[in-house]
Amino acid sequence: MRDSTARAIGLALAALYAASIVWLYVREPQSVAEMTGALSASVGAYRIDARAFDDGLRFFRGEQFDAARLAFARADPARQDARTQFYVAYSFYRQGWGRVYNDVDLFAQGVAAIDRAVAVAPGGRIVVDDPDLKMHSADELKAELQTGLQRGASDLNPMKLFRQRK
Amino acid sequence: MTHIREAFVLPLLFLTVALLGGVRVADRVVLLPPPLFALVLAVILTGVLVKSGALAPDRLINASRPGLANANGVVVLVSLVAAAAQAFNVAIPEFGLPRLLFSVFLFVLLINTLAASPDRVRVLRSMLVIFTSAFVLKFIVLAAVSDPTGGRMKRLLLAMLEGVTLGTLTQDAYRPATGYLAFITLTLFVSGLALLPPRAMLALERQSRTLLPPDQEPRR
Repeated sequence: MRDSTARAIGLALAALYAASIVWLYVREPQSVAEMTGALSASVGAYRIDARAFDDGLRFFRGEQFDAARLAFARADPARQDARTQFYVAYSFYRQGWGRVYNDVDLFAQGVAAIDRAVAVAPGGRIVVDDPDLKMHSADELKAELQTGLQRGASDLNPMKLFRQRK
Repeated sequence: MTHIREAFVLPLLFLTVALLGGVRVADRVVLLPPPLFALVLAVILTGVLVKSGALAPDRLINASRPGLANANGVVVLVSLVAAAAQAFNVAIPEFGLPRLLFSVFLFVLLINTLAASPDRVRVLRSMLVIFTSAFVLKFIVLAAVSDPTGGRMKRLLLAMLEGVTLGTLTQDAYRPATGYLAFITLTLFVSGLALLPPRAMLALERQSRTLLPPDQEPRR
């Protein structure tokens, strides 16, 4: 191999390798599915499994939130679809919501899921047009989840017992 | 130095160190970027390598070389600094008193080496000792102290550290894979340091020694 050819190939390889390392450190994929999904999402080729998503939506509407999340995980294994991750976050909200107190762990997982959704949404904006939901945007859902995580004197307000789940 | 080593071996080796240096395997795989202090140590280490003759930057970048060769040289230098930062990231504990102690110890050690101006071989030996010691302390001693299940090693260390609050010493418990990866990372890094182009005088001296018969070899 000619000296200059080898040097050019070496340079290109090193640049590609360095870019992949930076990408890995920024995205931190946890599985091969997440890695390939994130790669295909970056070129706009990522598609969710529509049938699994419909199953998830059916479970979600039937209040079977654990089953819904399993189906959503099948639909969006790389966690690159903003709408699916929005529903995952919403399932954590609905499951964790309580008239007397909220499940802090589930709400925290909901915040993580909505953050993931916002991170992959174009422009960070998510609006889901679903009449079954009372909150349609990521901003509303995140604010509701964060409010649910806060502790304060308002927790002792008896009127809290009359609030409605969204 | 061959162009293959400069264009392929060194950059890919150092970039692999930069990749593996931040990997921590716990319940999930975490990739830790190097802390700012690791970057400072990496720059000092590069200075030590240059001063000792273990690295001759002018053999990687100079006006008489073609642009492409100089670009390869720049890649080697940049990847060396990145790898050094990640090697220190591996070697230094993640938080608490051990992090502070390791950081200060490594900083003083590197400054001392810089001031002493040792030759290439001594610097490489010194790096081997520094990284081996740091590895043993972090991944064997501290890992044993931080092991939530305990064990003979932990009991022994607890007896030795009687009176010390363990809260200041314990670290996150990682899976054993983290230690193996750290070992591979540090081995690759030290091997890469040995492959760097040395100062021309040193290279010529070594070449002349191999050409001369044993009885005419210059006395050192």
